[in-house]
Amino acid sequence: MLLHICRALQDNSFVAWLNGTAWTAATLEIIHYFSMFILVGSMVIVNLRVLGFALRRQDAAQLADRLFPWIWISIALNFLSGFCMFAGSATAYYRNDIFYDKLGVIVLAIAANIIVQQNMRKWNLLPAMPAWAKLIALLSIGFWIGAIIAGVEVPALTGVG
Amino acid sequence: MHGSLISFGHWLQNRPFALAIAGSEWAYPLVQATHFTGLSLWVGTSVAVDLSLLGAGKKSSPPLQLSDALFLWNWLGFVIAVTGGFLLFSISAETYLTNIAFLTKLGLLIPVGLVLHLVIQRKAPGWERAEQTPVVAKVSGLAELLLWLGVATAAVLIPYVG
Repeated sequence: MLLHICRALQDNSFVAWLNGTAWTAATLEIIHYFSMFILVGSMVIVNLRVLGFALRRQDAAQLADRLFPWIWISIALNFLSGFCMFAGSATAYYRNDIFYDKLGVIVLAIAANIIVQQNMRKWNLLPAMPAWAKLIALLSIGFWIGAIIAGVEVPALTGVG
Repeated sequence: MHGSLISFGHWLQNRPFALAIAGSEWAYPLVQATHFTGLSLWVGTSVAVDLSLLGAGKKSSPPLQLSDALFLWNWLGFVIAVTGGFLLFSISAETYLTNIAFLTKLGLLIPVGLVLHLVIQRKAPGWERAEQTPVVAKVSGLAELLLWLGVATAAVLIPYVG
């Protein structure tokens, strides 16, 4: 079933054009990389604030209010460009274990993002960031670095992408 | 000049560390991941200042004082990115040195981006404290954002023009 969807996706003429034309393929890569840098960098800033390693004089809730809108825009751009790139070789990715690892780590990273965003206002009212908040922040940084590592392992170890 | 650059590239890519990375299944992707992690920290913290100067984010929240507070993390990202980038470069230095996209990235866009970055880093604390962000701050922020996007573009184009 899933394989059929992958095949249909890959055979779609628009998808084939997107991935088979040099300038559109390059544009997808540029969007994917640049949105990843902004997303991971901004999320690390938020997490460093939770951990108390940076911006201690900056109000944590205000920091989150400013950064999360563009973190989510970056996630959307990253997902969209990533999906288009996946669609171009969908059947190869379907059989690629490391690609599933990458998706799994990204789901965990996004879950950590949501937990941090949902709780930032509450944590900000406490005299100090709770230990579990710091743990989530640390895990969030780890998951995003893990997503980068899994991302480069896909083409390096399997030749896909 | 060109000849000596190529000779340097040839010498570099035959150093034992470059040969070891090129010959290992694991080392190359890990070096690549190091480069990308450093870039995320460098570009992410630089662009956060730019976007903040441009007024991105929730409008009701006051401007952030990011530049000074992120100084150390920003340059830590730069050092990691450059270390990873140098190792990636050293594997195929000769090829990179004849690639127009790589030469544009390293010889033009990164130096201009760095100069603008240093200017913004010097001026940003004042701009961030101002009641209204000056136009020059917004223009500088936008220019830096576009310059790093240009660097990423040149980097992506390396295999396309090689």
